[in-house]
Amino acid sequence: MARILMKGNEAIAEAAIRAGATNYFCYPITPQSEVAEYLVKRMPEVGGVFLQAESEIAVANMILGASCTGKRVFTSSSSPGISLMQEGLSYMAGSQLPCVVLNIVRGGPGLGGILPAQSDYFQAVKGGGHGDYRLLVLAPSTIQEAVDLTMLAFHLADKYRNPVMILGDGMIGQMMEPVEFPDSYSEPELPPKDWAATGASDRDPLIIRSLFLDPTTLEENSIILHKKYEQAKKEEIRFENYKVKPSNKVLIVSYGTMARICQTVIDDLEPEGYSVGLFRPISLFPYPEVALRKEATRKNIESVLVVEMSMGQMVEDVEKAVAGARPVNFFGRTGGIVPTPEEVKDQIKKLIKKKSRRGRPAKKRK
Amino acid sequence: MTSSENRFRTPVFDREVVVIVGGFGSGKSEVSVNLARVLAQQGDKPVSIGDLDIINPYFRSREAAEVLADLGVKSLVPPGSLAEADLPIIIPEIKSAIQKRDGLLILDVGGDDLGARVLSSLRDAFSADSYEFLMVLNLRRPFTSTVEGSLSVIGEIEDAAGLKLTGIISNTHLMDDTTDEIILEGLEVSREVAARTGLPIKFVSMETSIAGRFDPRKINLPVLTLNRELLKPWEQRR
Repeated sequence: MARILMKGNEAIAEAAIRAGATNYFCYPITPQSEVAEYLVKRMPEVGGVFLQAESEIAVANMILGASCTGKRVFTSSSSPGISLMQEGLSYMAGSQLPCVVLNIVRGGPGLGGILPAQSDYFQAVKGGGHGDYRLLVLAPSTIQEAVDLTMLAFHLADKYRNPVMILGDGMIGQMMEPVEFPDSYSEPELPPKDWAATGASDRDPLIIRSLFLDPTTLEENSIILHKKYEQAKKEEIRFENYKVKPSNKVLIVSYGTMARICQTVIDDLEPEGYSVGLFRPISLFPYPEVALRKEATRKNIESVLVVEMSMGQMVEDVEKAVAGARPVNFFGRTGGIVPTPEEVKDQIKKLIKKKSRRGRPAKKRK
Repeated sequence: MTSSENRFRTPVFDREVVVIVGGFGSGKSEVSVNLARVLAQQGDKPVSIGDLDIINPYFRSREAAEVLADLGVKSLVPPGSLAEADLPIIIPEIKSAIQKRDGLLILDVGGDDLGARVLSSLRDAFSADSYEFLMVLNLRRPFTSTVEGSLSVIGEIEDAAGLKLTGIISNTHLMDDTTDEIILEGLEVSREVAARTGLPIKFVSMETSIAGRFDPRKINLPVLTLNRELLKPWEQRR
């Protein structure tokens, strides 16, 4: 298929269709409404269901209901709308129901603004709803990667019978880039959906639920979920290195489109003699902890710089990975302001200057 | 004016208002901003630009207001923080600018019939033969990738706006991955759309870096060279 120019929201919508999504429920919100505008045209072409609900709370319950049938279900929203869906997502995780949720993040808290942000990291990664559950979270940095990860997300949702979230900052939804879709879609084989409620004419009825009044059964359910997340930590770690090499003095950790700004920074600083690498987590849960620790503790690395479009929500995961072996610094802008390459460059220059002037006092003192 | 611009005929307009419409994401804003720049540099008439995009939240022509102001182009956009809102705001200055007919007014309209609907409320302000109503076509966009697709989007936009097109802008590109072949491929489809609708192709648009190497004889149409102004945060201005 020829490469075409697509807006992130459209490309993700098309990727959902290609991955076999046949049920899409939504409620419009900027900056992701193009997903719905695209799917209202596309869903009928594949015999699927498009339904605009009366609210995001209704959407979450509709994807729950549709998922019970074993069909691939999809929804998309932006920050405040995703907040409204949290109860339903918790129910789905508790009921072991797959779905794919796209969050094109805008500035918050509250109604906030419509410009890009990464300030829903905690909500996405730490479990935005109640109970012992996690979402699997994938963060694309290009439109092509958004396409690939969306298709993967449907597979992972079925593999783990758990909601999977694509976390894209507003830029991912709104910018346009050339993309290519595979001519045919294939994925590793999945176990049969023997849990799906597809009609009980020739078998005993199935009950899909998250209500377990007996504490032992409820605990057992949480242990089942926990084991799945432990499996995901082994099998679903995804990240990418950019110009990570032995000469690096600073390692940037950044995800999504913010990481692309950091790439520009790294390229610009290279001829000036600054050696900087970028570690870009792609799976935000499970977090690529071990890989990050390995890159951050290379011999010449003096410090780690986390760069985000938030007040520093990912910092604690980086600190956990680095475990005190290197100082972890942070730079970010929020509220819809995107850090410029110049701002990030200044931060790196300050770090490297400070370091070379003082050497490594913390170690010498001991 | 850069030397590459001199190699081509630049678009010229007798009429006072140039309305730019097109499919969603066809490149209307980038075309509008650059048209304003080029026409202002020609210096014949004072140029202003009205951002009528009420459906797109990012990458709107209003983001280039400062760059254009340096060239003497007046931007008609909602004031203050309302410029950053996703509200369907049409400032009254736009209607009076259409009526006044002094200088050259470029109107950047939102995509598809949805974006063009805004024109139906301004329809009465346009007097006959005072305006150009131009359709931007990019063959590499999903819904205008064929002649049939383009014709259907054209029909929807004309119906929503309540105005008839007066010309076509061939703007086929794949951003940084654009090749000469992609531009010519797109022009081929634009020519067929032009033949089917009886509309002229007013100009072809392409990035300045491509225009620098492009053979003008291959096109024989006016060319608008684009200096991309609506950039992603990691892209550098060229």
